[in-house]
Amino acid sequence: MFQQGIEIKNLTVRYGDYVALEDVNLRIRHPSFVVVIGPNGAGKTTLLKSILDLIPHEGNIRIFGKRPKEIRNIIGYLPQRERINTNIPILVRDVVLMPVSARKFVMSKNDTKKAKKYLKIVGMEDYWNHRFDALSGGQQQRVLFARTLMNEPHILILDEPFSGTDVATKMSLIKLLHKISKNKTIILVTHDINPLVECTDVVVLLRRRVISYGLVADTITEENLEKLYGARVPVIRREKICYVAGSDVHV
Amino acid sequence: MFSIFLIRAIIAVILISIVAATIGSFSVFRGSTFLVSGIAHGALAGAALGIYIALTFFSVEPLLVAMLFSVLFALSIGYFMYQKENVDVAIGIMFAFSMSLAVLFLSMIREYASVAWGLIIGDLLLLTEDDINLLIASVITIVLLFLIFYRKILFSIFDPDSAEAMGIRPIYYETLLFVLIAIGVVSLLKCVGVILVYALLIVPAAASKRIAGNISACIGLAFIIALISGLLGIYLSFFISVAPSSLAGLVATAIYALTFLKR
Ligand SMILES: Nc1ncnc2c1ncn2[C@@H]1O[C@H](COP(=O)(O)OP(=O)(O)OP(=O)(O)O)[C@@H](O)[C@H]1O
Ligand SMILES: [Mg+2]
Repeated sequence: MFQQGIEIKNLTVRYGDYVALEDVNLRIRHPSFVVVIGPNGAGKTTLLKSILDLIPHEGNIRIFGKRPKEIRNIIGYLPQRERINTNIPILVRDVVLMPVSARKFVMSKNDTKKAKKYLKIVGMEDYWNHRFDALSGGQQQRVLFARTLMNEPHILILDEPFSGTDVATKMSLIKLLHKISKNKTIILVTHDINPLVECTDVVVLLRRRVISYGLVADTITEENLEKLYGARVPVIRREKICYVAGSDVHV
Repeated sequence: MFSIFLIRAIIAVILISIVAATIGSFSVFRGSTFLVSGIAHGALAGAALGIYIALTFFSVEPLLVAMLFSVLFALSIGYFMYQKENVDVAIGIMFAFSMSLAVLFLSMIREYASVAWGLIIGDLLLLTEDDINLLIASVITIVLLFLIFYRKILFSIFDPDSAEAMGIRPIYYETLLFVLIAIGVVSLLKCVGVILVYALLIVPAAASKRIAGNISACIGLAFIIALISGLLGIYLSFFISVAPSSLAGLVATAIYALTFLKR
């Protein structure tokens, strides 16, 4: 079938007069593990939302040769957590089941089984009947992660999935991502690429434009990072892998 | 003792409690309780306009004009949101706009202004059959639309980004919620007035949210708290001759205060 993956051509996004993304061109193979890094306000979230066709943009985006809107059910999306309303006494199970219940009225036993399975994978199986709003930030993040997997998506789009998670959770989520990435395309935004360097196929340095993209070892260079962050960021090279110095966790 | 007015008041309290459970809970969930107050004031402008039209052009029921005006108010909030305006600011602007119109229309209808002022306080014990019918029609509309769009509205206010990625347009369903709030608020005006709509719609839901274990429990409990407040308000008004809605508001607030005792 169509193996072209995700194609982004001449993507430009404006908020009023402000240009958040300018002429972004990317070709992402399927399957692959793509990490997007860049400073705050670089347009990372904007890029993900454009790929999902959630915001107006100029340019062309094709996923497996189709428009994003046509294949929504094969994409799992984890938005940045700040935008979620925790004023609602919604149960964990209802959150995880959202992708199913948004589409059909009655849920099957199988759906419930799947939801429980994914909650277990993220280590939240005991919270099935708990209030989501009463969980800690990291626990909420894990539940949202389980929700992303509900539709068994071919493509995962994750906006800072580790924000607020502890070291152990973060590592187990990364292991999980690594495991499922064999036949999926994962596009992940993070501020800390270090724990991911081993599973990353392609890293994208984004700051309104694509500063550079490619293999970690080729892309994460002091010169590129200085362009990206506007400040000197030392890079440590070790066994063909390089790390951004000054970041915390290493797997 | 069981006059037709008392029976109507009791029916009204039951219907109001349904509105409080649905509209009230979702306003609290959405975090835009101010909208209830804003729309109630907006309705006043609509009612004054209705009276003006009835006096100068053709006969029209002021409360229906109020309903229309409030629905437009709600739709405008949706449009403001679409324009990326902060919802509270949007409500504030529409509030200011409709209060200006209210004062304008009220000064145009002068001696008949008292009809509009009647909506500010309302009276549970003076309801007509038409008032009850309006309430019934509103409750049916609200409950029906809630049953149909419950999940879409819920997902839109819980996680709009994900909802949108799942093919739900949050802006539409949030606007629908605003319209339902408008319908609910206006249908309550004759009963409890602009001033106390807030007490009966928001306080029971806010109290219930503090103790309920999930959304359905929250809606059910809000219904019960509103019902107790309303009935107790009517009952107490036989001993203390003041407006039952004021007593209902005080009971609801007292119940809210009691929720602090938990934990
Ligand atoms: N709805 C909006 N209206 C106006 N400007 C916006 C809007 N959303 C984003 N922007 C602007 O676009 C730029 C990119 O925003 P975006 O959220 O994509 O950044 P980001 O790279 O995800 O940042 P962060 O690391 O803080 O999450 C920012 O300067 C932001 O102020
Ligand atoms: Mg972001």
